[in-house]
Amino acid sequence: MSVESRIVRRRSPAKRALLYIAVIVVCLIFIFPILWMFATALKTRPQAFSWPPLFVWKPTLRNFIDIFLKRQTEIEAITGWELELRTGAETFFYNSLIVTSGSILLALIIGTLAAYSFSRYRPTGTDTLMFFILSTRMLPAIVVAIPIYFFYKALGLYNTHIGLILLYTMFNLPFAVWMMKSFFDEIPEEILQAAMVDGTKPIKIFYKIALPQVLSGLAATIGFLIINVWNEFLFALLLTERSARTVPVAIASTRGEVGINWGLIAALETLYVIPAIVLIFLLQKYLLRGMTFGTVRGV
Amino acid sequence: MVKVTLRNLTKSYGKVIAVDDLTLEIPDKSLTVLLGPTGAGKTTTIKCISGVLSPDRGDILFDDESVLSLPPWERDVAQFFQTYALYPHMSVYDNIAYPLKQRGLSKNEIDRKVKEIARKLRIYHLLDRKDPTTLSGGEMQRVALARTLVREPKVFLLDEPISNLDAKLREEMIYEFKRLCRELQQTMIYATPDYLEALEVGEKIAVIRDGKLQQYGTPQEIYYHPVNKFVATFVGSPPINMLEGDLKTQNSSIVFQGGGVTIDISELAGKWLEKLKGDKIILAIRPEDIEISKEKLEGAFRAKALVAQPLGHETVVVCNLGENEIRILVKGFLSIRYGEEIWLKLNKQKIHIIDPNTEEVLL
Repeated sequence: MSVESRIVRRRSPAKRALLYIAVIVVCLIFIFPILWMFATALKTRPQAFSWPPLFVWKPTLRNFIDIFLKRQTEIEAITGWELELRTGAETFFYNSLIVTSGSILLALIIGTLAAYSFSRYRPTGTDTLMFFILSTRMLPAIVVAIPIYFFYKALGLYNTHIGLILLYTMFNLPFAVWMMKSFFDEIPEEILQAAMVDGTKPIKIFYKIALPQVLSGLAATIGFLIINVWNEFLFALLLTERSARTVPVAIASTRGEVGINWGLIAALETLYVIPAIVLIFLLQKYLLRGMTFGTVRGV
Repeated sequence: MVKVTLRNLTKSYGKVIAVDDLTLEIPDKSLTVLLGPTGAGKTTTIKCISGVLSPDRGDILFDDESVLSLPPWERDVAQFFQTYALYPHMSVYDNIAYPLKQRGLSKNEIDRKVKEIARKLRIYHLLDRKDPTTLSGGEMQRVALARTLVREPKVFLLDEPISNLDAKLREEMIYEFKRLCRELQQTMIYATPDYLEALEVGEKIAVIRDGKLQQYGTPQEIYYHPVNKFVATFVGSPPINMLEGDLKTQNSSIVFQGGGVTIDISELAGKWLEKLKGDKIILAIRPEDIEISKEKLEGAFRAKALVAQPLGHETVVVCNLGENEIRILVKGFLSIRYGEEIWLKLNKQKIHIIDPNTEEVLL
C-alpha cells in the first residue's frame, strides 16, 4: 500500500468527502474549456453564438466536414472572401505530422546516441558539455527569431518542411540528451561489461543490451518531445507560408478575417488535440517517470 | 586452457589503489583462488583479466602472449559477475544462450547446451521465465553461473560464484568446478572472501590484501605455513590464537612472557631468533593445536573456561589464559561450566612466532 492511500484512509469520512469534492471541482475547472471546445465543434454558427449558452442541442458534424471540403460556406457566399482555414485543412495536418515526426525521429536518433556516449564513455568534459547542451535552451526563443528568419530566407529553408524539422530537432535535442542520459545512467555498468565478455561489440551492446532496457524512458522522452513540437507556434508562424503551415498557425490565422467562425476553429482544434490526449493517456505512466527523472538522481 | 600470467598489475580508481603491483602466475588447467577481504582488489584483478577494465601498469599474458591489446569480446574468457549482471530484458533461456549466440553456434547446439547446464544447476523449470530480475537471489546466481559455465572459454573467471546458494548446492557446485577443471582441463580463477571455500575449492590460493599479494601457495601451505600475521589470522575459524609478549632468556632457556603467562619455548629456538628485531614477539597457535583437560596435566597451563560452542562434530571452547582470550577446538561435544578450571597443553611444535614489528611469521 502506498503512503498516500494510507494517509487518505486515516481521514474522517467528512474530511474525505470534502477532499473528493475539491478534487472534482478542480478537475471540472481544468476540463471545462476542453469540453466546451468539443461542444462548440458540434454546434452551428448561430448555436455557438447563442446567449444564454446552449447546453442541449442537436449536434452536427457540419464543421468537421467544412474544414476539409472545398465548398463555399454561408459567410463566404455573403462576403465573397475565401477563408484560408477552409481550403484544405488536410494540408496543415499533413504538415504538422511531417514536421513533428521528422524532427522527433531526428532528435531521438542523435540524442539517444549522444546520451549513451556521455553515459557510457564519459568523455573528458562531459559535465561541461552537458551543461552547454542544456544552456542552448536557456535563451528565450524570441531572441533568436529574427536572425533565424533571415538565415532561413538566405538558405532557402523558409517555408519548407526540412527547415522546421531542423529547427525543432535543435529545440528538442537538449531534452532528448538529458532525459535519455538519465535513463542510460541507471543501467548497471556490469551488465554492459557482461555483454562485452560474452562477445558483444560496442555498437551491438548499444542496440541489443542498453537500448532495450531504456524503452520506457524512450517512451517518456518521445512524449515530451511531441508535446514540445506539436504545439509550437512562434517559429511555425515566422518561417512558413501556406504550403508548409502547421495546424496551430492555421487555427490562429483564421481569426479577424471575416469575424470568427468558432465552430470551424473548435472542430479543427478538436481534431488537433485528440491525438495529443490519446498519446498522453497511452504514455501516462512513462511521462510521470520522465517528469521525476531529475529528482531521483543527478547527472 | 591457458596459463595466465599477471605481471606487476596495477590499477587505481582516483587515489585508491585497488591492485598494487600484483605478479601472479596461474598455471594451465588449474583452479586458482584469489582470497581476500572485501576491497582487497579481487574483482578489479578479475575485471582486468577479462578486459573490461584496463590496468594502469603491468601486463596480462595468456600462454606467454600479452592480451592487453585485445578487447574483452576477443579475449575468449567467461566471467561470472558478483552482481550477476543478468540481462533484464531477456528470458532466462536467452540469458544463458546469449554468449553462445554471439559465437555463432547452431540453434540445435545452443539448445542442447543451455538445457544441459540448466538441468545441472536445477534451473530447467525457470528457463521460460521472461524477467530474470523477478527470480530469487539464489536463482539469479544460478542463471548467471549457467551463462558463464555454458561456454568453453580459455579462462573461467568466477567472482564469488556461490555466495548466495544453499549449503547443498554449494557442495555440488564446488564439485562441479573441480570436475570442470579436471575433466575438461579448464583454467579457472575464482575469487572469494571465504577462506573455507578457498581451501575447499582451490588447488592454489593467492591471498590478497589492499591489492597486494600476501602469499601464493597450496591450501596446505597457506594454512600451515602462513607468511605473515594477516594470512595467519584471515585463514582459519575460529581464528588463530595470538599471545603478545616479551622474549626473555633465563639461564639457558628461552621464555615467552606476556599477558600473565610464561611459556618455555627453548625447544623452538632456531634461526628465527636472529631475524627478530627487538624483543617483543607474538606467539600464535591454532585452536586445534591446544589440548584441553579438566584434570591437571604435566606441563599444562591453568585457564578459566568461559563458554563452549558445540558445532556438532567438534566444540569451540573459549577460555581465559592469563589475560588472553583463547579459543580451543576439541573433537565431539564438551560441556563446561562458566568459570570452571581447565588445563591447556600447547602443542609446541605447531606454534608460530610472529614479529610484531614486521608482522612477518618467523617460525
